[in-house]
Amino acid sequence: MSYKIPMGPYHPGLEEPYKLDMICEGETVRDAELHIGFNFRGIEHLAETRNYFQVIALMERVCGICSNIHTLTLCQAMEQLTGLEPPPRAKYIRVVMAELERLHSHVLWAGIAAKLMGFKTMFMTCFALREKVMDILQEISGNRVNYAMNRIGGVNRDIEDPMALVPAMDELEREMTRTVIPIFTTSSTARSRCAGIGVLTHEKAISCAVVGPTARASGLGQDLRRDAPYAAYSELKFEVPVEQAGDVRARLLVRALEILESCNIIRQALAKMPPGDIAVGGDKFSFVTGTATSRVEAPRGEVMYSVSWKEGSRNPARVHVRTPTFANMPAVRWMVRGARLADTPLIQASIDPCYSCTDR
Amino acid sequence: MTSLESIREKLGIAGPWVESRGAHWLNPGTLSVRQIAAAMNEAHARFVTITAYQLPGAEGFRLEYHWDLDGRLLGFPFTIAGSSIESPKIESIYDLCEAVDWIEREVLEGFAIDFAGREYEPLLLRMGDKPGVNLREEVAK
Repeated sequence: MSYKIPMGPYHPGLEEPYKLDMICEGETVRDAELHIGFNFRGIEHLAETRNYFQVIALMERVCGICSNIHTLTLCQAMEQLTGLEPPPRAKYIRVVMAELERLHSHVLWAGIAAKLMGFKTMFMTCFALREKVMDILQEISGNRVNYAMNRIGGVNRDIEDPMALVPAMDELEREMTRTVIPIFTTSSTARSRCAGIGVLTHEKAISCAVVGPTARASGLGQDLRRDAPYAAYSELKFEVPVEQAGDVRARLLVRALEILESCNIIRQALAKMPPGDIAVGGDKFSFVTGTATSRVEAPRGEVMYSVSWKEGSRNPARVHVRTPTFANMPAVRWMVRGARLADTPLIQASIDPCYSCTDR
Repeated sequence: MTSLESIREKLGIAGPWVESRGAHWLNPGTLSVRQIAAAMNEAHARFVTITAYQLPGAEGFRLEYHWDLDGRLLGFPFTIAGSSIESPKIESIYDLCEAVDWIEREVLEGFAIDFAGREYEPLLLRMGDKPGVNLREEVAK
């Protein structure tokens, strides 16, 4: 006999509002229904009522974790409509911020995953490391969450002495390679809770069009930083980790390897950062009529903005945001099918979902 | 890498691809969105999203369908004529492309555009009590 177990919208594992109704037989999940929208704030509509300065501050608040990515994507789209090209130094600073944000996001996720595995000492370690990443972000931007770094035509703040950040990066990488990465990749606790569960097959990953680490853990080697480079990524060398198993452990491994790649990218960007201006365009901007699209590889996967403007207007005519969780979350239905009920919080967490982004 | 020209030739579209502000655009002409979706499946392109716009006055709506092909963003614009503004409708591609499920539902809820040929699960956006209340101008007023 099957029965339905509702999980959420006050979710016991992930402290964000969404609902997963699981149809179970005994302890086995046979199917699931997802319900989102509890956080809907009408941000796309609100954006049409904000001018070109205000809309940046507004879209920074689409997501609390990858706030910088949203303004980067939006500013890139607005730069296409104003004909402005950010100076090379600004592009490098954008890379540093984007990769620090990826580190912050992945370490935060690792902590939550550890907590859901019952590995609470690891949760504390991850959150201590996350604090160090946030310290660096604060040193650069003055802020720990919404950094306000991106503007049309560049960035708002310079990294005056890039090499001064290298020791902090070295320490961060040393601690990650000494603690988080070996524990997640080799410990029997992590392996027993993650291996073989929540599998998203390669074929299903293609048909669901998943993005980011969720796609790369199912054997899809897609990453916009390499496939459609933006900012200064085309001038930097890095690998795109791909795993084939499609289970929670593969998602864990991909993110662990991405932490190391992000450290590598940040170190290169700091060393190669060219001198010069950090922004062009002054304080007044003229937009042409039309639509521009921009895509960026956020920590959770591809973010896309479509921005439409009418010449002479200070407000956008339309801002549409496609976030990575919006693409990845429907695949959870396939991941939990056949899983044990006790594994479902970790399976849901394994895509690193963000409902603030998804609902907008 | 699949060439964009081979896709255009296979679709039988005379007009060229136009690269503009972050995307490669192809005017589908008289082709339906289902024909485009089938061609995208054949080219192994990844579905990205649909962006809906309400056109000024009573001109109707524009829907921009996006796919990714080896890092290139492809765009296909479709217009829903103003004559059908009371009950705008376009064919669903859900049976051809599983990934459109949530965005078709979101466009329905935001603009009250019906994607014909599919059934909907309950609302995604938990604001308002009828489709179109969120982004469609005359309903919001």
